[in-house]
Order: sequence, then structure tokens, then C-alpha cells
Amino acid sequence: MPVNFDTLLLIAIPLLPLLLAGLFLFPGLRKAAVFLSPAAAVPGLAAGIFSLQTEVHLPGVLLGTRLGLDLTGQSFLMFTALLWFLSSVFSRSYMKKYSGLNRFTFYFLLAMSGNFGVLVSMDLLSFYMFFALMSFASYVLVIHQREAFSLRAGKIYIILVMVGEVLLFAGFVLVFAATGTIYIGEIAWGEPPTLLMALILVGFSIKAGALPLHFWLPLAHPAAPVPASAVLSGAMIKVGLFGWIRFLPLGVVAFPELGTLVLGAGLAASFYGALMGVGQTNPKTVLAYSSISQMGLMTIGIGTGLAAPEFWPAALTAIILYALHHSLAKGALFLGVGMVDGAPSGRVRRLVGLGMIFPALALAGAPLTSGAVSKAALSAALPGLPSPWPTWLDLLLPLIAVGTTLLMARFLFLILRSDVKKAYLPPGMWAPWGILLLGVLLITWALPAAVDFTRYTLDLYAMWLALWPVGLGILVASSVGLLSMRKILPIRPSIPPGDIVVPLESLIGLLTQRRTAPKPTPADHGERSPGITERVQPYLFKLEGLFTDFAIAGTLFLLTGLVLFLVLAAA
Amino acid sequence: MENTWILVMILLSSFFTGMIIFFLGEERHGARTILNMLGAVIKLVLIVFLGQELLAGRTAEARMLLLPGIELLLWADTLSMVFIILSSVLWLLTTLFAVGYLEESPNRSRFFGFFSLCVSATMGIAMAGNLFTFLIFYEMLTLSTYPLVIHRGTDEALRGGRTYLIYTLSGGAVLLVATAWLYVMAGPVTFTVGGALWHIAADNMNILRFLFFLFIAGLGVKAAMFPLHAWLPAAMVAPAPVSALLHAVAVVKAGAFGIVRVVHDVFGAQLATDLGMMQFLLIAAAVTVIYGSLRALTQDDLKKRLAFSTVSQVSYIIMGIAIFGPLGMVGGVVHLVHQGIMKITLFFCAGNFAETLGIYKVSELDGVGKRMPWTMAAFTIGALGMIGLPPMAGFITKWYLGIGALDGGAGWVVVILMASTLLNAAYFLPIIYRGWFKLQRQPWHKEHHIGRFETDWMLLVPPVVTAGFTVAAGIFASLPISPLHLVQIIAQLEYLPGG
Repeated sequence: MPVNFDTLLLIAIPLLPLLLAGLFLFPGLRKAAVFLSPAAAVPGLAAGIFSLQTEVHLPGVLLGTRLGLDLTGQSFLMFTALLWFLSSVFSRSYMKKYSGLNRFTFYFLLAMSGNFGVLVSMDLLSFYMFFALMSFASYVLVIHQREAFSLRAGKIYIILVMVGEVLLFAGFVLVFAATGTIYIGEIAWGEPPTLLMALILVGFSIKAGALPLHFWLPLAHPAAPVPASAVLSGAMIKVGLFGWIRFLPLGVVAFPELGTLVLGAGLAASFYGALMGVGQTNPKTVLAYSSISQMGLMTIGIGTGLAAPEFWPAALTAIILYALHHSLAKGALFLGVGMVDGAPSGRVRRLVGLGMIFPALALAGAPLTSGAVSKAALSAALPGLPSPWPTWLDLLLPLIAVGTTLLMARFLFLILRSDVKKAYLPPGMWAPWGILLLGVLLITWALPAAVDFTRYTLDLYAMWLALWPVGLGILVASSVGLLSMRKILPIRPSIPPGDIVVPLESLIGLLTQRRTAPKPTPADHGERSPGITERVQPYLFKLEGLFTDFAIAGTLFLLTGLVLFLVLAAA
Repeated sequence: MENTWILVMILLSSFFTGMIIFFLGEERHGARTILNMLGAVIKLVLIVFLGQELLAGRTAEARMLLLPGIELLLWADTLSMVFIILSSVLWLLTTLFAVGYLEESPNRSRFFGFFSLCVSATMGIAMAGNLFTFLIFYEMLTLSTYPLVIHRGTDEALRGGRTYLIYTLSGGAVLLVATAWLYVMAGPVTFTVGGALWHIAADNMNILRFLFFLFIAGLGVKAAMFPLHAWLPAAMVAPAPVSALLHAVAVVKAGAFGIVRVVHDVFGAQLATDLGMMQFLLIAAAVTVIYGSLRALTQDDLKKRLAFSTVSQVSYIIMGIAIFGPLGMVGGVVHLVHQGIMKITLFFCAGNFAETLGIYKVSELDGVGKRMPWTMAAFTIGALGMIGLPPMAGFITKWYLGIGALDGGAGWVVVILMASTLLNAAYFLPIIYRGWFKLQRQPWHKEHHIGRFETDWMLLVPPVVTAGFTVAAGIFASLPISPLHLVQIIAQLEYLPGG
């Protein structure tokens, strides 16, 4: 393996965040480590922008680790690293008002390493390792504030993480059994067993926030401090999507039933997220539900790839564009919540609110935004689906856009209604947020892969198609708002965050309360020593006395030892 | 016969140490420590030398005819080496730990004397070349660990020790019966790769089935297989270094190692499968894996929780053995090492909490990470390894067990592994959570400030080192010096002779 700049850069992508996290072991260096933390994302950012034509093979690590960056990995790395970079710049200033900046940064770096590592892993084991690192480190980000709600969110999150871990373990073991290799590049799908696909689908669905294992997301994302929410909702849930792309037999064989099932699940999540989200009272929870809804759209892309393999390349492009767009827009909105919290005056807050309208419109898919471009890409992949679906989706996708518009309106309403806290906004928060806004504005226009779709969005008819759902959404939102303000419509939306988790929790509570103390089984009587022990007790006490008397015991062993030695020496 | 003296010296390096310590005055603290460390280091040097001899293609063997037909036979094959290396390295660290742990407590001469004898017995078990030799050292191990278990001399300790003796002596008796029976049928049984019983197999299938059962029942006591495991939680009254050694190297491992020998080198995997006994063993091990973890869930006593976790984890080894095929065997035998380094880390840490802060219960661990960050970090690594998360050693085990199970046509074992992972998480993650993320609620029961670190350096170094092993054995699993590599050689010999 030739050691050159490219290989070093590749290894540095997951390793640099780890090394910087390692600095926290030395109390004297902690301040410096916090200061340097954004630099941890730089190798990833560089590799995401300028592609890396190299693969690193580390035969001694795990069961033979391979790192590399294919086109999918590179695309994901680009927006992932950008978001991590900007969020860590943001967090240096933002987290000053919270205690535990050191601890936060430490786990932030670990989660970053995990997230980057997943994208560059080219074998099952290191993928699994980085996935676990990311999941466990972000647990600590979720519970950072140590309030009752964050601890509850953390508990539900970690349980689902563990469930995901075991499902993926079984899935990966099956991948190895089915293909005989641990290397992603060498996987050749024959007829993958249904169980394998089910495990991969469900295992990654937890991270991706797909129904019905989505409920950790509206609890955990709002519970984490703003910079962590941004990467959780912007970057880390995309790893679920990335896992599907990596380990499902996409574009090989058609799985019509499974494909439509996935597609239906994605569609359901899109509507469900919007429906549950408008009933929320915390702006960050609304954003989390919007993430569920948006991830549903990307899941539709996966379903398309399963059902219509020949359209997989188009679907993949759509998924990547969509992930990129959503990542930046959602990141900008989450960081925006932190900006509003810190706004020193009503005027500044209105300015921030104005800035947030743009990513909100982009998410809704308003004309000429990155959202419109991504949606155009998604529509281009849909004609390959079996017959009723293309027509249905043509009908349903605009409705989802209406739903997203409503969500965004709800979000902006909630955020502008909150009190001004008269804090202050340092440049360390303005700058990353501003760059992110610029990114949302420009990045899809700069991508060569998106050229067809950006050109398409310039078409008047396309603009109309993108415009009317947003317009309808705004109309509905403003009329409902007006009516409820005039007290004509007595709406008090109050869906508990995490929706189904609430009945689930009470069910579990019920089950665990009923549980009585475990009865002692006969096998455990030895611990309490009744029965046979009683009968031989007198002898045993004598025996014990014998052994406790160290002189006798010692001599006994000396004798056995001597015999043994003589025997062996004679040999 | 080559290299006879090395084998004898390996056995005696700890044996003589023990003997001299018995007759050393109680107050000769310095001399005893030096002697202990010297014995452990000499043993390590000898083992390195032995390893080089084996790598050079030479063999090592020591024979002695005791009675006509009964031969004392010591040798060193790759499987022996795995166990020898594990025991001697961990012995060194445990001795260091014990010196720090038992500072100022009475009867240290007795303790360290038996401690050394216990290691000699373990070495004998590792190097035993036939059933008879194995049996002798196996019994010697029982007797030399008993005084360690009851070391504190309290009523509770005596009760625990009694339970321990009853269980292990009965197990030993069953093993003796099985060995004698087999001797009558097949003559002296020397451990042979691929099995030593083919010549009598055809006519004695049913008797062999019964004998296999007897062997497993006898060895299963020490390996703490359900329902023969109850002595292990009872033996928790022993001082922490003893528990560490018991769980990681000596007693429990001797049972598991014995099962490896019996299945692979007495019966042979093929014959055991033909007898239909592998399925029986696999189910028994799977039940133990789940049962141990279920019991661990409800224990508030930290060492008890660890003890039930051992019950569960040692049966990972047995599951691996019982899965037919090289991959499963790799998973099982490598866990002999992996479970050892992980569990000894956890017990060292439990000992540290008890010795430094007077903490014995899980519910008292709140905020301990702030006071003892290194110990808690080591504990975390060990616990995550037990759950089987990469890059810890436990994940390598789990991976091989998983792919081995599918390869050997026992896919349901993957479900057991999944359940066990969840259960392990359910009783280890709360400990980690308390230690790192909860705030200290009450003053520590009895806090000692020893040395310039969070605790005495002799108590701190061993867990940190073994935690390092745990990570290294996982991250560098494919390097030629890793436990995995050695074990792969063994599995290749068993299943793919000449390949």
C-alpha cells in the first residue's frame, strides 16, 4: 500500500475527530481541543469536495479493514462534513451558556468520527463499529441537559439503538453468509434471503426515523442542544438511508412486493410526520417531525430502487440530491432555533426569522429552491414503478408538499411567538448559520449531477407545479391562524411528542408492575445452602477446619508437590 | 521427548513460589512480593521460550509412567499455548492487584501461597496431554482454590466455600467415573486432534452418548453451566483478586477448557455430532447464556451481577464448541481469551470500587466516574466488550459465533446471541450510566486516599492494562500475535487437517 497524501487524508477522515477527542484526556489541553474541534471535519470536507481515488487496506485491523470513498460515499460525506463543520463552529459559541462544554465537545467529536467512519467504511465490521460509535456517542449529546425530558428521550433512544444494533448484527451475519465476503465492494447479490433484507430494512429504519420505529426522533432531536440537533436531524439520520443503499440489493433484481411495501411505508411516514408535527407546541419537535416526513420521501426512492431496478440510478441521484438538500435546510433551521434563542432584541429576532423563511420554503419545495430541484429528481425516477403507483404518486406528492408547508408555517409561528431572552449573538454563531443559508441557496445549482433538474425547474409549468402546493399550504395556514387568533376556531393542538411512545410506555409500565419477584429455582439452592448440605455439614466443618488450618494444608500441598516433582524429575 | 524441562519448569515456577511463600513469615511483605513477581516473570519468560520452540517446529513433551497403563503426560499444543499465555499474563497482573488489594489484611502468606498453587494447577490443566493428567490437575485446582474462597473466614465466606466444595468435588467425582469408565473401554486416552475414540465408536454408540453426558456434567460444574452454576455466585464472598482469577482464568475456564478438550480431542467434533450430542451441548449452553443474563438483571450486588454474567458468557465458549464447523470453534475458543480479559477487567474495577470507596452495590455507583475516571473507563470498556460492541474483543467472538452458527446450520443461535446482547446491555449500560452521568448522591462509605492517583497504582494498573488488551484484541484481531490468529490455527487443525 503506497503511503501518499490521498491515503493519509482518507484515514484522517474518521481518525482526526478521534484524535482531537483524545486531547480531552489531558486537562491542560481541553481548551485547545474545544477551539480546534471544527478542524476535525476538515479532512472529511476536503474529501467530500475533491474526490479521493484511493482505497486503504488495513489487514491487521478488525478482520481486515478497508476504507474508501465511492461516489455515494463522497456525496454523503460532502454535506455531512459541511454540516458537522458548521455545527461545531456554532457550538463553540452557543454552548458557552450551558455547562459542560468540554464534555459536549468530546462526545460531539466521537459522534462525528462515527458518522464519517460509516461513510468511508468498505467492510462490514468497520461499518458496524463506526455506526455503534456514532449511535452511542450521540446518546450523550441527547441527555446533555440532564433534565427529566432529555433523560427520558435518552432512555428511549438508547433502547432503540440497542435494538437496531442487534438487528444489524444479525443482518450483517446474514450478508456474510449469503455473499461470503465482508468487503462491500465485493458483495455480489445472488438471491438474497428475504430475512436478510427485512433485517437490513428494519435495522436501519430506526436510524432513518421510519415508521413505526420513528418515535425516538421527536423526543431525542429536540432534547439535544441545538448544534447536536442539527447534526442529528441533518446528518446522522441520513446514515440509516446510507445503510439501506449500501446493504440492500438495489438495482439488481426486482422485488415488486417488497419495493411497494417500502414505498408505502415511506409515503405513510411522509403524511404521518406532517400530521403529527402540526399538532406540536415545541418548534424543535415540529422540525423533528418534519424530518420523519422528509425521510419518508427518501424512503420512496429506496422503494423505487427495489421495485424497479432499472430506475435505481435515477432514484439514487434523487436520494442523494434530496439528502443533501434536506441536510442543509434542516441544519439551517435547527441552528436558527439557537439564533432565535440568542437574539438580543425583537428586531434581530425578526431578521433571523426572515432568514429562516428561505430554508423553510426550500423544504416545502417552492419554485427554484433546492427542494424543487430534489423533487424534480425524485419524480424522474418514479415512472419505472408498476402501474397504479406513478399516477398515485403524482397526486400524493404535492399533498406532502402542502403538509410540509403547514409544518413550516407552524414552526415559524411557534418560533416567533416565544419570548425574547435578551441574550447575545456572537459572530461565531452568525457566520456558520449564514454560510449554511448560502449553502441552501446555492449548492444544488453548483452540482453537475443536478444540472438536468435545475434546468427543469426554470420551466414555467414546473414552477407552477412547485408553487401551488406551497401556496395552498400558506393559504390554509394563514386562514387557520387568523381564525384561531380571532377565537373562531378553538384549536389547541396537543399531540404528545413521540406520539405512539406514550401508550407504549404505559403498556410497558403495566407489564413491569405486574412482574413479581423471580421465584427461586431449585438449581439456586446452593446459594442458600439447605437440603443436602445440612446432612454432610458436620463433616464439612471438620474438613474446613482442616483446610483453614494453614499448617496442615500447606504441608499437604508440600507433600503432593514433592511427589509430583519427583515423578517429573524421574521422567 | 523434547523440551521436557521447559514444561516442568513452567509448572514449577509458580509451585515453588507458593511453597516458599507458605514458610515465609507473615510480616515479610517485601520478600513475598518480590518472590511473587519473580515467579510470574520467570514463567512468562519460559513461555516465550516455549513459544519460540513451537514456532520453530519442535515439540514439547514430558512423560512419566505412574502405573502400568497410566501415564502422566504433559505437552504443549496450540490450544495449551492459548490457555497458558492467558493464565500466565493474567496471573502476573492479578498478583500485582492482590498485593495492593490485601495491603494490611491478615493471612497474606496463606493467601499468596495458595494463589500460586492455583496457577500451577491451571498450568497443569493447560498442558495435560491425556485425560488422567487432566483429572489430577483439575482436582488440585479445586483444592487449592478453596482456601482462597474462604480467605476472609467469615460465616458467609465459609458457607460460600462449602457450596463451592460440594459442587466442584461432586463434579470431579463424576468426571473421575467417566474417565475410569472410558479407560476400561478404550484404554488410556491421549488427547488427539479429531478424536481418540474412533476405534470403539462403532459398537458403543449408546455408552459413548452416556459418557459424553457424564463428561459434560462433570466439567459443566466448573464451567458453571445451568443448572450446575449455583456455586459461582456463592463463591462471590472471596476477595476481589480471587474472584477475578476464578472467573477469568482458573476455575471457570478450567471447566470450559476441559469441555473443549473432551469434545475436540477425546470424542472429536465429528463423532460428537454423529452421537447427536453436539445438539444437546448447544442447547444446554444456549439455555445457560440466557438464564445467566436473566439472573444478572436483578442483582444489585455488583460482584453478584458480574458472577451471573460469567455464567452466561462462559457458555458462549461452549456454544462455539458445540457448533459444528471451524468458524464456530474459532468463536468459542477465542472467547476463552476474550472473556478472560474482559471479565478480569470488570472484577478488578469492582475490587477498586470496594477497596477505594467502600462501594459494593450497583445502586451506590452514582457519580463514581468523576472520582475514579480511569477505573470507570476500564469498566466501561469491559462492559461494552461483554455486550459485544466493536472494537472490543467481545464483538469478534460474537461475529464468529454468528457466522459459525449459520455455517453450521444452527441459525437459531443468532437469535440467542441477539437476545443475549440485549440482556447484557440491560444490565451493563445502567452501570455505565450511573457511573458517568449521574451525580454523586451521598458521601462514599469509606473513602481511602491511596497514592497520587485515584487509587493505589497497584490497583489501577491491572484493570487499565486488561482494558487495553480488550480493545487491542478487538482492533488488531487480524494481526499474527492476536488471540484470534492462534485460535484460527487450532480450528484449522481440527476441521481441515492438512489444509
